[in-house]
Amino acid sequence: MKDIIITVKKQRAELMIYGVCLLAAFVLNVASIIIYNTEWKELYTQLLWVFCLSVGIYFLTIVFRVLYWLIRRLFQWRN
Amino acid sequence: MQDLSRREFLKNMGVIGGSGIVFSSLPLLHSFAQKKAEEAKGGKARLAIIGTGSRGLYHIHNLLKMPHAEIVALCDIYPPHLEDAARLCPQAKHYNDYNEAIADRHVDGILIATPLHEHAPIAIAGLQAGKHVFCEKSMARTIEQCRQMYEVYKESGKVLYIGIQRLFDPKYLKAIELIESGAIGKIVGLRNFWYRNNDWRRPVPDPSLERQINWRLYKDYSGGLMTELASHQLQMGTWVNKSLPDYITGFGDIVFWKDGREVYDSVSVIYHYPNGLRMTFESIISNKRYGMDEQVLGHEGTLEVARGLLYRENPKPAPGIQQLINQIEHKVFDNIPFAGPSWVPETATSVKGEPIMDNLQTHDGSNTTGADVDDGSFGLVSAFCSSVITGEPAPMLVEEAYYASVLALLGNKAMEERAVIGFPEEYVLPG
Repeated sequence: MKDIIITVKKQRAELMIYGVCLLAAFVLNVASIIIYNTEWKELYTQLLWVFCLSVGIYFLTIVFRVLYWLIRRLFQWRN
Repeated sequence: MQDLSRREFLKNMGVIGGSGIVFSSLPLLHSFAQKKAEEAKGGKARLAIIGTGSRGLYHIHNLLKMPHAEIVALCDIYPPHLEDAARLCPQAKHYNDYNEAIADRHVDGILIATPLHEHAPIAIAGLQAGKHVFCEKSMARTIEQCRQMYEVYKESGKVLYIGIQRLFDPKYLKAIELIESGAIGKIVGLRNFWYRNNDWRRPVPDPSLERQINWRLYKDYSGGLMTELASHQLQMGTWVNKSLPDYITGFGDIVFWKDGREVYDSVSVIYHYPNGLRMTFESIISNKRYGMDEQVLGHEGTLEVARGLLYRENPKPAPGIQQLINQIEHKVFDNIPFAGPSWVPETATSVKGEPIMDNLQTHDGSNTTGADVDDGSFGLVSAFCSSVITGEPAPMLVEEAYYASVLALLGNKAMEERAVIGFPEEYVLPG
């Protein structure tokens, strides 16, 4: 066992990524209001869904980042 | 054949005001009851309770909570029932003969909760003796008795209330308001049903008392499911359609409870209105899956009145973001059909109904004993006490009850004759 250290730089980067996910979810909410012609008050009434969606997108970025890291490690190991 | 226009019917029922149409007797009655309660403040309605069985006791419990009511006499021919009531009202005088109870000079009004066949003779005797009368529904055992009771009531100038408590149930008031406001569009159908799974019998201590106690099961005493259950629900046709049916037909049978009873345990009746609308009543007492309700079907929505729920034909769409997520989910996880289905079973949607009002009082139907749900009975009896004090009858209440009772009895007639019958002209009340 060893301590896992998350550096301030890494924390900032993760917060930045999550911020982008939150913004993306918010933009999706705006887009869906326009596409489905629903009420603009959903900008604030559906914030819980926006938050859930942002978390979902954030976990999706984790999946892709892990995949990217694994593929990179594979190439490094071959070389 | 009766073909009353909506306006004529409303006029006959006295609900057209100078400035327009008042929805039905319901809101009118409600405001009447409130006004009369104010006027009756400080007074006391001195009542004789005639019939102290389960329904009589229910009313006694309610009356004991009303400051403007006093029970001064009790009457029943069945001693155990009278003793039960006497324990609740120790000050009240006891009678075995309703004529003596009516003649009691301390009695201002009588409340009748006896078997159906006794409603008319007691109510008529009470009105003719100058007493105000509250009579449980249905109005009377026969159509002729209903008419006779109505005539005596009009001649007497006294107060007559019939126990159709839906007139005082807030859910029904709200439902009528919604229907009149067009919330469910054009009315295209009315479905009333009442399903139970019990034999409708009461325990009998001695076989000689069978007919006295289980009077609901015998034709001399009761009209069975039609007078005991349907008469409550058939008001929907009058309220919603504001006219009388022109044709009535139906079938009734003893399907399951073949225990010597004479009344049907399974009935289906159709009331056809001149505008093409049909109202149905169905009751089976050997299956309770669907319970009871009155469903008003409009082209834009459905009201389940007893449950106080509104279902829109085109429900408000889900919020945009939820629609987006659903669409993505379907695209990712749904199977790709190799051919479209030529037919799918159109089972009802699982959309939940919208409650039509706050603080809805409903009952899940699993148990009807001790249900603490205000079905309007308290309000109705309270309004009667106010009317006893002021001497002013409630507008249209007797007419509503008369038509509900006559429709129930005509349903029985159609089933017994296995025929399509018309609404008899002679039983239309004068305008």
